[in-house]
Amino acid sequence: MPEEIKAHITGVVYQVTAKPGDRVQAGDPVVVLESMKMEIPVEAPRAGAVQEIRVKEGQTVQEGDTIAVLA
Amino acid sequence: MGLRDLVDELAAKRARSRSMGGDDAIARQHAAGKLTVRERLDLLFDAGSFSEIGGLATHAGIAPDMAGKETPADGVVTGYGKVNGRLAAVIAYDFTVMAGSMGRNAEIKCNRAREIAYTKRMPMIWLIDSAGARIQEAIGSKSFAGSGLLFREESVMSGVVPQVAAMMGPGAAGTAYIPALADFVPMVKGTSNMALGGPPLVKAVVGEDISAEDLGGSKVHCEISGVGDLEVADDRACLQAIKEYLAYFPSSNTERPPAIPCDDPADRRDEDLLAIVPDSPRRAYDVKKVVRAVVDHGAFFEIKPGWAKNIVVGLARLGGAPVGVVANQPMVLGGALDVDSADKAARFIMLCDAFNVPLVFFQDVPGFMVGSKVERAGIIRHGAKMLYAVSEATVPKLTVVLRKAYGAGYFVMCGRGYEPDLIVAWPTAEISVMGPEGGTNIIFRREIAGAANPDEERARRVEEFRKLINPYMAAGAALIDDVIDPRETRPVLIRALEMARTKKIDRPWKKHGVMPV
Repeated sequence: MPEEIKAHITGVVYQVTAKPGDRVQAGDPVVVLESMKMEIPVEAPRAGAVQEIRVKEGQTVQEGDTIAVLA
Repeated sequence: MGLRDLVDELAAKRARSRSMGGDDAIARQHAAGKLTVRERLDLLFDAGSFSEIGGLATHAGIAPDMAGKETPADGVVTGYGKVNGRLAAVIAYDFTVMAGSMGRNAEIKCNRAREIAYTKRMPMIWLIDSAGARIQEAIGSKSFAGSGLLFREESVMSGVVPQVAAMMGPGAAGTAYIPALADFVPMVKGTSNMALGGPPLVKAVVGEDISAEDLGGSKVHCEISGVGDLEVADDRACLQAIKEYLAYFPSSNTERPPAIPCDDPADRRDEDLLAIVPDSPRRAYDVKKVVRAVVDHGAFFEIKPGWAKNIVVGLARLGGAPVGVVANQPMVLGGALDVDSADKAARFIMLCDAFNVPLVFFQDVPGFMVGSKVERAGIIRHGAKMLYAVSEATVPKLTVVLRKAYGAGYFVMCGRGYEPDLIVAWPTAEISVMGPEGGTNIIFRREIAGAANPDEERARRVEEFRKLINPYMAAGAALIDDVIDPRETRPVLIRALEMARTKKIDRPWKKHGVMPV
């Protein structure tokens, strides 16, 4: 079942580190947010293929926003 | 009957009590992946050290539908024994007897066990595996109006003797407040759960369909609610965790925590400490690596590892003496403090202070989280809890600033204003009310806006501001005690701990403060 990966902190997308189709392991960063002057990775909760990335670098995201979808 | 016959009769009654709820019920207990109450006590206490009290009790015989029923030990085994050589009292519910429900006589036994712990000043351990109150005996105003004193007594005992409530099965309704008031709550994965109202009550009252596991299983309480302190794999791991936890604590608040001989050299320098913290101040790292590199043999007993992970708290030893560690975790939310992490740290600081366990703070905190979400959640109130707890604590307090020490984060992590007995910084330390970027934008807002090239002007101002943030400014003003080579962290802390051992601070008399809960 596809699983949405959500931001756990409000911040700005600093770097998108995965693209659709990439295989990721649990704990791999999919996106790096910048918040509180820190680079904070948003990690894949489980292994799988990235189905969709919903954010762009420089975009502001709120806590709870969906950042990516894991197939 | 002669005395020999009477003795035989006694032996038969004792055997009946020890047979618990019978073979079928014991088989069901085992099939559920649980040990029986007596198997648990064998594992908890040193061999042959357990003395049972109230073993011959049975139900009160006050409910018509209980007539003819047997309730060996009335569904709860109570007594005292030695855990790693030191006495502790126990109340262990027996699920094989009427689902471990709390009967009237069972409660009398529990009161007796708590009295032992309280008046003789020894830890109180609950092994909870109980459906809650025995409705047959508790229903109606006549019995219920006098009940509930256990929670008052548990509150009074809080901070006097260590209290551990292990969830080794269900703990519904009343039995859920026992862990809530205890100091340490391990939960067995898959078999334990707690909720103020179990699934049938929830269905009846609010119409929600939910399983006991989804309502109050170990994942819910150890990762979301924060009521559980540690998720453990099975009964054995649970009992082992209790023993390990208690080893860090004195038997009561009038004693020091027990030190053990230590063969990890006090002057050990750890080269790894030069490589853990990244060069970029914006990069995360695992602060637990720092903790493990510093403490005796790398042994760290973490409390609430799955909840509010942006702060790390737990027990360890330095030179054989127990300490409580509070460390910011840059890996999670950049180490920024929020509502739950402030709550977790405040409670842990109070726990250590209550039982004379010195505190060691490792600071790397960009500050408290800001924004509407945390303000509405009451971050001011929760942050104040941590200020309050660290201010109240009179145990030895040692602070190491690893990297960031910004704003109120520096205060709550035992900055200079909070009576640290030693405060030192690594050369990477940044102690300031806020970072150079944030500060520049506020202080030089007009100058930047009015400059021919605002971006250039901002960058120049940020660089100037940055020069003001380094540990030598703080050490030069004698506001921190030293800047240390990270490799010296362990020897520096062990020497300071020895220096602070005789610390004595008398606060003005008061009934109690008004804690911002």
